[in-house]
Amino acid sequence: MPKLIIDNQEIDVQPGTKVIDAAEQLGIMIPRFCYHPALGSVGACRVCAVKFLQGPFKGVQMSCMIDAKDGMVVSTTDEEAVDFRKYVIEWLMLHHPHDCPVCDEGGHCLLQDMTVAGGHGLRRYQGKKRTHHDQHLGPLVQHEMNRCIQCYRCSRFYQKFSGYRDLGVLQIGERVYFGRYQAGTLESPFSGNLIDICPTGVYTDKPSRFIGRRWDYERTPSLCINCSLGCHTVVSTRYREIVRQEARFSEAVNGHFICDRGRYGFFYASQEKRPRYAQINGNEVSWEKSIQTARDQLNRISQESGPGAVASVGSVRSSLETQAALSRLCQKKGWQGPVYWIDHGQEMNVKTAAAELADELAVSLRDVEQADYILAVGADPVNEAPMLVLALRQAQRMGAKVCFLDPRPIGLPFSFQHISVAPQAMDLILAHLLKETIDQDTIKGLEPHEKKIFDAIPNNSHLVSSNQKLLNAVANDIRLSQRLVIVCGTDVVSETIPERAAYFARLLAKMGKQVGLFYLLPGANAFGAALLSDDAPTFGRILDEIEAGLVRALVLVENDPYGYYPDRPRLERVLQQLDLLLVMDYLDVRTIQDADVFLPTLTLYEAGGFFVNQEGRIQKASIAYQGGHPISQFSNGNHPPRSFRNQIPGKEAQPAWQALIELANENSATPKQGVRADILAWLVKTHPLFSKLPPDNAFPSDGIRINPGKDIHFRSAADRLVVPTLASESADQMELITVDWTFGTEELSTRSPHLRKMESKPCVFMHSNDAAQLDISEGDKVAVRSDTGIVSIHVTITDNMAPGVLIIPRHQRLDWQHLGASKITVSKDQIRKIREEEPC
Amino acid sequence: MNTDKNESPMTQILADLKALAIGFATTFKHLFQKPFTEEYPEYKRPLPARSRARIILTRDPDGGERCVACYLCSAVCPVSCISMQSAEQADGRRYAPWFRINFGRCIYCGLCEEACPTAAIQLTPDFEMCKQDILALVYEKEDLLVDHGGKDKQYNFYQYAGVVTDVGEKGTHIKEEKPVNIRSNLP
Ligand code: SF4
Ligand code: SF4
Ligand code: SF4
Ligand code: SF4
Ligand code: FES
Repeated sequence: MPKLIIDNQEIDVQPGTKVIDAAEQLGIMIPRFCYHPALGSVGACRVCAVKFLQGPFKGVQMSCMIDAKDGMVVSTTDEEAVDFRKYVIEWLMLHHPHDCPVCDEGGHCLLQDMTVAGGHGLRRYQGKKRTHHDQHLGPLVQHEMNRCIQCYRCSRFYQKFSGYRDLGVLQIGERVYFGRYQAGTLESPFSGNLIDICPTGVYTDKPSRFIGRRWDYERTPSLCINCSLGCHTVVSTRYREIVRQEARFSEAVNGHFICDRGRYGFFYASQEKRPRYAQINGNEVSWEKSIQTARDQLNRISQESGPGAVASVGSVRSSLETQAALSRLCQKKGWQGPVYWIDHGQEMNVKTAAAELADELAVSLRDVEQADYILAVGADPVNEAPMLVLALRQAQRMGAKVCFLDPRPIGLPFSFQHISVAPQAMDLILAHLLKETIDQDTIKGLEPHEKKIFDAIPNNSHLVSSNQKLLNAVANDIRLSQRLVIVCGTDVVSETIPERAAYFARLLAKMGKQVGLFYLLPGANAFGAALLSDDAPTFGRILDEIEAGLVRALVLVENDPYGYYPDRPRLERVLQQLDLLLVMDYLDVRTIQDADVFLPTLTLYEAGGFFVNQEGRIQKASIAYQGGHPISQFSNGNHPPRSFRNQIPGKEAQPAWQALIELANENSATPKQGVRADILAWLVKTHPLFSKLPPDNAFPSDGIRINPGKDIHFRSAADRLVVPTLASESADQMELITVDWTFGTEELSTRSPHLRKMESKPCVFMHSNDAAQLDISEGDKVAVRSDTGIVSIHVTITDNMAPGVLIIPRHQRLDWQHLGASKITVSKDQIRKIREEEPC
Repeated sequence: MNTDKNESPMTQILADLKALAIGFATTFKHLFQKPFTEEYPEYKRPLPARSRARIILTRDPDGGERCVACYLCSAVCPVSCISMQSAEQADGRRYAPWFRINFGRCIYCGLCEEACPTAAIQLTPDFEMCKQDILALVYEKEDLLVDHGGKDKQYNFYQYAGVVTDVGEKGTHIKEEKPVNIRSNLP
């Protein structure tokens, strides 16, 4: 361990630590522009100069370029170094425009800070300044190239770190330009990070353009709940409105960055249409009246028809507190629920994932970066969990191979192997890979029940033989690798795959490999839901019971079945049959129109709370602001009202957990304080898993991981790893699956006006062979007829996917809910080409 | 006064009487001189332009609003009496859709004027700011905005800044070269 002295303080650091980092460990912040812990050093800006007094180097050197070595004596305050840095700043400012007052970076600008700190107050250079044209980079990032100081952070992040190619450096000398060859929307779904890493105002945040200054914002640590990864963010609040969200560093989860869906996905919180008042039959009433009415009606129904006539549906986007309060309410009242899962398949997939995630297998995003082989099964990272792409890219940069087993046209900014087979065949292929990989010794050492599963795997089929070469290569790579991660999705895969993936991982671990298992789940708190949903029926089952008249009242807690339920006509019909529909939400969901009683709830920015991400990590979001109508909406853009009142307007909403506890209590006087603590105490008592939950004030920033294992409750405890079989395949049949897209399918981010501009038009993906057979060409519009309805949609043809499969996004601009189910089989004559104007 | 204990009481009394006489004489003398007092508010004495009282928002020489809503004045204000919202105008200028100063709180320290990079906010000599209703001391933008340049008639921030507005394209501002052609390596 090198030991060196910086500014008269001695420090031991890890070998390979740069002097700039060693100083930071001592609390000495050496100025820097080009150096970034995630991007490494290039020595481009020269502002980190320090003086080396003793050791292998002498004189003024760049502290970001030099590894700490034994015996070094470094001074950051030496006159020569200070002088050097001062001149560097003056240089960098030569061409800098006179822009600070109209620059959105002002107030948190590294260049501004360094200029002031370096004492460069007055411009000596009297010549003309070099200027650049700016480019339109899309709806998220604003470009102002004059302000660049050529640190190369942007191009290094964009190309080297994340692998996208459409933004980089052009030109030479003092004319260098950072941008695209031609103006246009940035292709990377991580483009917002340019804003965070650029030390100047070249890239600024367009949605919050000219909204305010950093010093006026209240900044609060929060979480992204737009996918199951749960990246760390910091939100900026001003005048009762979230105006901006940035990445917050997290060692284990997202590192320094977040994706654009997360960054701009918060606008639902201040939507103008957001419901803010309690309603009974569409009429605004007080919160207390609503609660009282709902409680009376629910009690009446459960007295008349038994408590089983009330069903409650929870949400994978609710906080753990809300989920727990709902469980407690159901337990107390004997209601059915909490229901979380659309159908049996989803329930099995998510619960298996949560149950299989044993402590020794669970890995974080950061661990994925360290892998040397990654096998992804039924996962499409860009569309399902964007930040996983950056983790895979880091592994790939370090030499890891990445292989996808997936029917979809996977798009990633680096090269990878892709075994594209139909969803039904995936389990068979995975099982085959497993069989090819595991060595004889390991097989011999298997426990009998594990051996049974192994023996059930059938031998080569035609499916395998058509992919033989690729499969052999993959099996070989897996055998050779040391640190493997198996990524497994839970959306398009069949019910056996999550368990098969875990089985594969366990066997590989037995072979002496370091193995990680990384599931993707269908929501930010799906893991919490898996822990708390117990024996509850699925949503589909509840609809059956409503139709049969067994369930008369439905409580929807932050859950919008119109968004996800794949058979809309049925849903509409069935909800009409209810005697009571109670809806609680903070979104403008359609069920509010049908609701007999509606209660407005708070977002995570207003209520805070715990969320459990897909690796079982409980993380905490703090309360960012009190809620209420944003001032900008309250005053129509003009100055705030000139009258005063002691209530925040539009602040009637309460956390959903508060509403649930008030429903549970027989008298209406539930205190507003202490309710959350009560719920958490109940949770710890009933689910010992949560006993490790630290108190709020000592909650670690990276959260704590819980791995429940067998604690997860399954309805069927039968041996679930069935023999992979292939449904009889006919050349006439196609498998249709519905999938997520980065932009356009996730319910919170689709409410962001800025991300709407990023959505591509919904289209169905089709393999070129199928298209040729059906005589369909790119861009044609087709009508897909299912048992319940027709979906008409444009076609995109690709070779990069499994033949015999149709892939339709669950896009908010598409009525995919007429398909009847999220996975169906259609015969080819159910797909018909239609003319553009033809009504479908 | 002399308080030396060794002095006789008589000397002390004489000294006191003398002081009294001088005082009365001075007062008496002033009775016949022209008084300094000015009859405010009948007469309003002209104050130097730099005196610090009621605040205005000025315009640049071509009539545009100078304030770019940069928040520097509100940040520097020691009593936090300035608030505003910034936004973008169609012509590319940054401006304040609303701008509010609470003169009930303002201490007329002039720090906002010193901080202002565009010479927009200026203090004027008009100090007559007494109101019955305290809310009447809360001035909105329409109360603050004037149609002249105040103490600095010439300055136009957008002629110096590098951003594109109605005032100028890239490369047309003061001391700017023509924009680089990124598709050519010729000098
Ligand atoms: S990049 Fe920084 S220094 Fe440059 S104009 Fe913007 S705030 Fe000022
Ligand atoms: S645009 Fe920003 S990040 Fe890129 S080189 Fe210039 S200053 Fe650095
Ligand atoms: S990867 Fe998921 S959790 Fe992370 S920022 Fe993107 S949407 Fe949010
Ligand atoms: S400092 Fe000047 S330009 Fe900036 S907000 Fe205040 S008045 Fe406007
Ligand atoms: S930070 Fe060291 S040269 Fe830029």
